Amino acid sequence: MSFLEVTDLKVHFPVKGGLFGRTVGHIKAVDGVSLSIEKGKTYGLVGESGSGKTTTGRAIIGLNNITSGKITFEGRDITNIRKVSKDIRKDVQMIFQDPYSSLNTKKRVIDIVAEPIRNYEKLTKAEETKRVQELMEQVGLSPESIYKYPHEFSGGQRQRIGIARAIALKPKLIIADEPVSALDVSVQAQVLNFMQDIQKELGLTYLFISHDLGVIKHMCDRIGIMYKGRYVEEGSPADIFNNPQHIYTKRLVAAIPDINPRNRAEHIKFRQEVRSEYEKSYDKYFNSEGLAYMLQPVSESHLVALPEKG
Amino acid sequence: MEIETSKNPLLLSKVEEPAKTPSGWRIIWRELVRDKVALLSLIFLVLITAFVYGISLFLDQEEIVTVDLFAIHQPPSADFWLGTDYGGRDIFGQLIIGTRNSLSIGILVTVMTGLIGIIFGMVSGYFGGAVDNIMMRIVDFFMILPFLMIVIVFVAIVPKYSILSFSLIMTAFLWMGKARLIRSKTLQERELDYVQASKTLGSSNFRILFTQVLPNLSSIIIVAMTLNLAANIGLESGLSFLGFGFPESTPSLGTLVSYARNPQTLQDRWWIWVPASLLILVLMLSINNVGQALKRATDARQRRG
Repeated sequence: MSFLEVTDLKVHFPVKGGLFGRTVGHIKAVDGVSLSIEKGKTYGLVGESGSGKTTTGRAIIGLNNITSGKITFEGRDITNIRKVSKDIRKDVQMIFQDPYSSLNTKKRVIDIVAEPIRNYEKLTKAEETKRVQELMEQVGLSPESIYKYPHEFSGGQRQRIGIARAIALKPKLIIADEPVSALDVSVQAQVLNFMQDIQKELGLTYLFISHDLGVIKHMCDRIGIMYKGRYVEEGSPADIFNNPQHIYTKRLVAAIPDINPRNRAEHIKFRQEVRSEYEKSYDKYFNSEGLAYMLQPVSESHLVALPEKG
Repeated sequence: MEIETSKNPLLLSKVEEPAKTPSGWRIIWRELVRDKVALLSLIFLVLITAFVYGISLFLDQEEIVTVDLFAIHQPPSADFWLGTDYGGRDIFGQLIIGTRNSLSIGILVTVMTGLIGIIFGMVSGYFGGAVDNIMMRIVDFFMILPFLMIVIVFVAIVPKYSILSFSLIMTAFLWMGKARLIRSKTLQERELDYVQASKTLGSSNFRILFTQVLPNLSSIIIVAMTLNLAANIGLESGLSFLGFGFPESTPSLGTLVSYARNPQTLQDRWWIWVPASLLILVLMLSINNVGQALKRATDARQRRG
């Protein structure tokens, strides 16, 4: 049994319309996603906007209602995480995308970071202050700044406060929903490296959601690529980046910019080749609705959404 | 670096310094100082309130409203600073007690409508869906009730009513606007990530509502309540003027003005109604000025300070 196992997860949003707000249809934000994460590893979820990667993460932590499917965490069913017992819930935490709106501007840092501690543990004021100061140190912020307000910090520092809050309960799994995409590139690397450091230090497991392939390559041990609510390809970074099998993945990988300007002409040519291949073989890789097929294993670690043979 | 030095217990104890004050109040204060009219209005309001509540401690309402047939319609004099009315009652005393009563009602109604509106609006906006639907239909129901007619009926069937019961009847018909305002703002707030974050951190819904969302609504609440205070004082005076507010035994600014319904009083005995009318005007203007300054303080683009 793996650490986190998601089986055939579906999140459908009803579309209301017409007379009396009847449900006229569904948006299938996540449509049959299965993934499993091993303890201490980082699992990367990539996809374009609206591909359902964020919805998947939010469904796991209980911010979106799950239409069907099953989620198990350390062998225990957490499909309805808001209803399961508190000690499991505190093991799964989340880092949010926007460090500006995810911290309550009217609260001091000590109140923000201590919120989970107050919910789950009974500590005296002094113990709590000490704990928050330790957490601030852990994320590389000055412990003296706990009485400041979020607007007194920079974006990168705010994201660290968000991380301090997420690790306050010593969780086992952290869902990081595009944790660096709102940050400056120079700060991105800083926060990412820091996330890797605390992963080693605390033995964390990450579900890392991003649209940035470079970041994913840097961080992840296993990668899943989503398109329109379904997986198109899943595998190790080597599988995905060196041997992409699905045409969608090929295009994604081809879109990574090449830093060396001498290869520019070549790179453009390669991209155009992939593009024409994409247009030609679109029908082969996607079904009549434009959705991906079920995943088929092509090697031990590598799964690709291909039509069933025969 | 900090990480190293903070291991030092001496440095850690330094953190027990007093917490920083919220910056919100400072912004409001700066705005008031910059807007001289609003500042003067605030000073005036504080002085009037302190004066009225202070003096009325030494005045006896029963004694002031007792009819004295030997002192009917006296013009202002050393005995009666602002003269007397047709019952020989001292206008100055009535003015002080009346202002106190009017202010008390205004404040009480504002606070009560505020409380109901905040709780109703926040619950409705935060939970949304069916809860929101039902609660907003209740608001709609109260909205369509004819306020004035019900107040008139109430005045007719309740023989003797106090400041509290009068405030309650006003509150029953004045909380809906606030509930709608707070609801719409809560609808915005609940979509923000900090609310979602609180959910993942294990806070209960009511805890999120009152410790996370409420502080973010504070500015809009303060502004709405201040502007409402002026409106409520005006409303009470209006009702009393029409004769549906307080009886003469409980003076208010409205009862004093209503003496002017007598043409002779209106023409010849200015001392009865002019001070009260002026006071209503100035009070409402001042409260409005302060309210406008607060409103600007909540919107960074409109700030002057």
